[in-house]
Amino acid sequence: MKKRGVVMFAHNNSKRNYYRMALAAAKRVKHFLNLPVTLITGPVTLYKAPELDVFDEIIIDDPDYSNKRDGAEWINKNRFNVWRLTPYYETLLLDVDYVVNSDKLLKLFDIFDDYMFHDSTSFIMDPNAPQEYLSTKSFQSLWATVLIFKKNKNSRHLFQCMEMIQDNFNHYADIHGFIGGMYRNDYSLTLASRIVNGHILPSKNIIPWNLLHVGKNTKISHYKNNEDDIIDKNTNTKFMVEYDNWQRRKIKKEYIFIKDTDFHMLNKDNFDGLFVV
Amino acid sequence: MDTNTVLTQAKLRFAHESAKAYLKDKFQSKLLVAEQGGLWKASPQMISILTTFQKQTVAVFIDEFDNPVKVEVQALKDKLLDTYNSVMEEYHTEWKELENQR
Repeated sequence: MKKRGVVMFAHNNSKRNYYRMALAAAKRVKHFLNLPVTLITGPVTLYKAPELDVFDEIIIDDPDYSNKRDGAEWINKNRFNVWRLTPYYETLLLDVDYVVNSDKLLKLFDIFDDYMFHDSTSFIMDPNAPQEYLSTKSFQSLWATVLIFKKNKNSRHLFQCMEMIQDNFNHYADIHGFIGGMYRNDYSLTLASRIVNGHILPSKNIIPWNLLHVGKNTKISHYKNNEDDIIDKNTNTKFMVEYDNWQRRKIKKEYIFIKDTDFHMLNKDNFDGLFVV
Repeated sequence: MDTNTVLTQAKLRFAHESAKAYLKDKFQSKLLVAEQGGLWKASPQMISILTTFQKQTVAVFIDEFDNPVKVEVQALKDKLLDTYNSVMEEYHTEWKELENQR
């Protein structure tokens, strides 16, 4: 078994090519983290997929089409299979819309015990945005966007528990007062991490910085000093962020610049425009 | 079209508070140091505490994960001081850059 590496899941659906997103994300991982990348995907997604050699390994896992979001199938189930399928002893599991833009994630390998994930977020243009809760009577959501784990007994328990919650998701939705139906790994992780730790959330499992979201109403573009500048979309680290700030029924267009900062893009169309096309 | 032209034409406003919050977030995480079996924040407070313990070779401190960790005081202080200075220099430089771009 190899010592450490990154794993991503990508299953295309009728609306979006997640393989291409994974490809863009993998190139950035290799550039900034210098780690091998394994893709877990299905045969339909792999059909005519370009640049397969970017991935060090490709593992086939049959997709579960039973989840739906925005009118299309959302193939996010069975994430718990990562424990069984990963070729690494230390695995950094990343969502394909997480943009690696620095070597910050390498620090996790020095500080984590069995597993670690984010428990808090910040929105890049909305510093006062509240944290997400499963419901008003439940827990603050954890985030499965970045999840690092060692392949050991404790992490196996966590993923087994996530499987149990996935299988009984509507039951947990009833108990915790959130809307069931659409399965979310974030919620499953939130509940599983408490169950396997005696209904507490140990601080050693929390990544000690915020997950930086780029919201759906925020647009990111590559920063250019001059019109003729050629940007390498796989390695560029400086971006301009634009935001429509609604105040008293008027939009104020705002911007900032960011550089050398990892972020999670909620606007998938923007991700495609920046890194895929 | 380059970014500055876009800015001029679109009448965008520099979001000062967002930029400030973003930079603070970014550099807070850079102050974290995994050293001598614990996770430490290179803050002025932690460096001051270590300075007051300088007569001792080793001492026990609570790290960022709330674990008591026995450390070599001088070595940890040197590491945190180095980290603090380099991170804050970088923070200051980026802050100045952002201020100039308003």
